[in-house]
Amino acid sequence: MTSLAEVPQLVVNGVMAGTILAVPAIGLTAIYAVLRFPNFALASHATIGAFAGYVANVRLGLPILPSIVLAFLVAGAVGVASDELVLKRFRPAGYITTAIASIALTIALENLVRFTFGNELRGYDLPIVRDLHLGTIRVGPQQLQNLLIAAIAMVALFAFLAFTRTGKAMRAVADNPMLASIKGINADVIGRIVNFVGMGLAGFGGMLIGLDTTIDPLTGFRSILSVFAAAVVGGLGSIPGAVLGALTVGIGEELCLLFLSPDYRSAIGFVAILLVLTLRPRGILGQAAY
Amino acid sequence: MSEENAKSRRRFLQASAGLAVAAMTPAIVRAQGTPLQLGVLTPLTGAGGFDGPRMAKAMQAVIDEVNAAGGLLGRKVVLVVEDDQTNPEAAVRGARKLIDVTKVPAIMGTWASAVTSAVAPLCWESRTFLTTVSGADSITKLPHQGYLIRTQPNNHLQAGKHAEFIASLGIRRCYMLSIQAPFSQPTQDRATEVLKQLNSQMVGTLIYDKDKTTYRSEVDQALRTNPDLIYLNGYAPDVTILLRDLYRAGYSGLRFAQSYAVTSKVLESLPPEVTEGVITVQPSADVSSPAYELAKKRLSLPEPDSYETQATDWASLVSLAIAHAKVATGEGIHDHVRRISQGNGTKVYSATEGIKLLAQGKEINYEGASGPCDFTDIGDIVDCKFRYNKVVGGKFQLLKVA
Repeated sequence: MTSLAEVPQLVVNGVMAGTILAVPAIGLTAIYAVLRFPNFALASHATIGAFAGYVANVRLGLPILPSIVLAFLVAGAVGVASDELVLKRFRPAGYITTAIASIALTIALENLVRFTFGNELRGYDLPIVRDLHLGTIRVGPQQLQNLLIAAIAMVALFAFLAFTRTGKAMRAVADNPMLASIKGINADVIGRIVNFVGMGLAGFGGMLIGLDTTIDPLTGFRSILSVFAAAVVGGLGSIPGAVLGALTVGIGEELCLLFLSPDYRSAIGFVAILLVLTLRPRGILGQAAY
Repeated sequence: MSEENAKSRRRFLQASAGLAVAAMTPAIVRAQGTPLQLGVLTPLTGAGGFDGPRMAKAMQAVIDEVNAAGGLLGRKVVLVVEDDQTNPEAAVRGARKLIDVTKVPAIMGTWASAVTSAVAPLCWESRTFLTTVSGADSITKLPHQGYLIRTQPNNHLQAGKHAEFIASLGIRRCYMLSIQAPFSQPTQDRATEVLKQLNSQMVGTLIYDKDKTTYRSEVDQALRTNPDLIYLNGYAPDVTILLRDLYRAGYSGLRFAQSYAVTSKVLESLPPEVTEGVITVQPSADVSSPAYELAKKRLSLPEPDSYETQATDWASLVSLAIAHAKVATGEGIHDHVRRISQGNGTKVYSATEGIKLLAQGKEINYEGASGPCDFTDIGDIVDCKFRYNKVVGGKFQLLKVA
């Protein structure tokens, strides 16, 4: 069992895990805010982003940063296409039907990746660097870099939502779709933009996860429950909430090692969901439930 | 033409056709009467679809040799092959057909543990002998009354052998990181026990959750015990992450893993400095055995693997047990299989060699291509060889087979 002296290290590990989790969690929560259904197809879009980044990095020999941008663009484009072709038709049938359709969609897309790339594990062309020791705390330079990339992406997204016309329109639709349409905001266009940004972030997050691990067709699926937990804990529909939720889940999973065996780590995310939904049903920063 | 005439002409034609067929049949088959049918139930499709067909081929090669030497009990041996599809339900249908319709005395070849668990009750209830490669400890603990043997080392044997190897490297402090799986706890317990007997020590064990993106805290927990060797008992996706995290943490001791967790694909996906020196282990054929040399020639393969050699041994063991029992029944094989596979008889390395000696009234001890083929009361093998590889420059190098 881990001793109390390890708490700072555990918190650092948790922040790093949580930040990476936050990127796709923002995507999930943004899509939920505008389209009002939990889009589980996020899992396969994370995988698609990871593979798009792999093709750019390993096959085309691009450095990591442009590869990650490509991961965002490809996953975003696939997100728009899959929503237009598949999920949009389900939306009039209600959010539960659409959510279930998104599970079917994610399995189909995941198998498409499997069909194209096979089941093997793949890694990015990236040397693995030894950790830095800052006093008693151990930090990985790559993980610091991932943290930085994730933080920049989040700041960019906040700026987009706060200062651009489209961003404001997105918030307007999320806040009150009826009022937004009266003001002349085209909900369809906003739906496409939010899908592009949301799924793009999923692909971005998928590649960040892959940079730290390896990728295979199950990369997104393995993380989706933690991502979902983060979004729900933070309050579905709230973007700062998704970040806070991801950090809560990330740090919580690490701190639980103080008194639990590591094989219970995943349970922590779900205990957090239960606790939050019992004590504060809308999530930490959630809006009032519709 | 009257109807009576037509009938008698038809009868004449039938009789002549029968005679013609009989005349065309080779003398050796006529002399042997009805063939002796043995059941093969391997996965020809599904997850085991890579191993199943090769196992069936290896069994056929042994049976061809037995037939060329005059067959068994004066009869030609025929293998009746059913596909278990790596699926318990399909396997049960296949087994029912072999048991109820073909009435075979033995079924050889089940691969997946779930398939073997489903088929085994049909076998022991009908007194049909079953041979398998399934590795789960639970298989031989079924109430099979001796109607089952397996040539694959179970978890208990594997963990013990791994611990012996680790101790032989001079390791004093071993740590085991295991994935949450049914085999984890038994493997930890057995390895801990054997290390202790060999003046080594398991300084800690930890069972981790699968599907995590990082295991930094788990690695920290392991490194706090200052291990000389870390046994990574998981699957490829998580062991890959552990190898990365161990490298990042600056761990410089040895790392040990099952070959299915560190595959050639894993080596490709990681930079060579991360995997340098990793030792992998897998059950191996007994490459130094004369039976292995014979299997190589029989199968025209440079290196028959563990599954092909185990299949070779099943066909040989069943043939020899029938020859010893002088009757082709499940009970006969059940009563005689240990009398030809272990004990003080003359060592033989092939079915034909053994059948010849048995015909002279001698006792034999079959030593197989997969290992010595000595079985415990519950049907587990007593000993087997393991292949140890070491990763050097991103490639596997054979360390030893022992």
